[in-house]
Amino acid sequence: MTTDIKSWAIKFKNLSDSDKTMAAMAKYYTCTYMWDMGEKKLIIEMHDGKVKHINTDPAPLDAYDFALRASAQTWREFGRPMPRPMFHGIWAASFREDLKLEGNILVLMQHLRNFTVQFELLRKCGVPV
Amino acid sequence: MARHSPVTGRYVTIDVDGMEYKVFYLQNGKGQPLICQHTAGCHNHQWRGLLEDEEITKNYSVIAYDLPRHGKSDPPLNTKWWESEYKLTADHYVNFIVKLCDALELRDPIFMGSSFGGNVALQLALRHPERFKAVIPVEAGDYAPGFYLDWWRHPMANAAQVCASGVWDLMAPQSPDKDRWLTWFYYTQGSEAFKGDLYFYSVDHDLREELGRIDGRKCPVIMMTGTYDYLTTPEMTENTARQIKGGVYIEMEDIGHFPMSENYPVFKIYLKEALRIIRERKG
Repeated sequence: MTTDIKSWAIKFKNLSDSDKTMAAMAKYYTCTYMWDMGEKKLIIEMHDGKVKHINTDPAPLDAYDFALRASAQTWREFGRPMPRPMFHGIWAASFREDLKLEGNILVLMQHLRNFTVQFELLRKCGVPV
Repeated sequence: MARHSPVTGRYVTIDVDGMEYKVFYLQNGKGQPLICQHTAGCHNHQWRGLLEDEEITKNYSVIAYDLPRHGKSDPPLNTKWWESEYKLTADHYVNFIVKLCDALELRDPIFMGSSFGGNVALQLALRHPERFKAVIPVEAGDYAPGFYLDWWRHPMANAAQVCASGVWDLMAPQSPDKDRWLTWFYYTQGSEAFKGDLYFYSVDHDLREELGRIDGRKCPVIMMTGTYDYLTTPEMTENTARQIKGGVYIEMEDIGHFPMSENYPVFKIYLKEALRIIRERKG
């Protein structure tokens, strides 16, 4: 399973770093966030619009700015090529499903445009749960 | 040869509750007036598909205005509007729409609005059923809490991008990229008004105890909501329509909260059905 999550991380980084919409406006996209998928957790570190590092085995004290926490089932819905209603974005799923937005939400808001574009790359690469 | 659109734009000056407004509106078509309200924090380009739709405009005069503080409609010209926080109230919003219809001498107009425009359509059906032939509340409900947020104009975040990307997943993933990004683009232009608009949408608009007083037999109320709308969900709209005498609910498949702007061809299928029902009931 460890190999699987590391393969996923490489795929996600390649997709993100080569995305034209990200490249167009993500020059100042620098922050660190956690994706808590229940069965697995990831910490993604962004620097100047590129994926600097994906921590696939976070330790308890590893730091991040904000976190998205939801069940593995919800993350699997996010990872469908065409997600079902209410699983089609972080606002929809936080209003109507079990997604929780935690930590410093201001950082999320500061980078919302780029984060939203990047989050939808999950429809292309799926999720590691 | 210049490729002109048949749509024309004009300004009209009206007085509403002591406020002087110079209102910009787009118009095309002849026949039954169909007056259209954009969503909160946006402007009348959301109705671009409808305004240029020959099949509709051959029988309908489509009018899409910018609410004051949006698009090309300035804030009130006779007040120091910058000295107070903008909070749109139901009273003022309703009075504005009626005054605008009077100024344009619209006879038996059909009013259609989406989101906060849909909610005010319900207010119009309650307060002025005699002034409108029918209303089409799109993506609307009796009560829509939860979106009156400080994030829309937080000084430490890019308000234009927060508003535009904050409403991104109100749209359906099936809607074309081109139209979703145009809608995103419009939303980068309205961040100063968005939160004040949402005071009406999420706070001042509350018809939970009033729906029984709306008579959809006098003024037909045709409600339409997309399956991807997480703010006013299909269930919320259906529940609202069910409590209105003669209320009609139409569910729109695979579309979101900005249907006329994010995917007009899909929206049109349902709009034609709404207009057909209105013709059937009112001629």
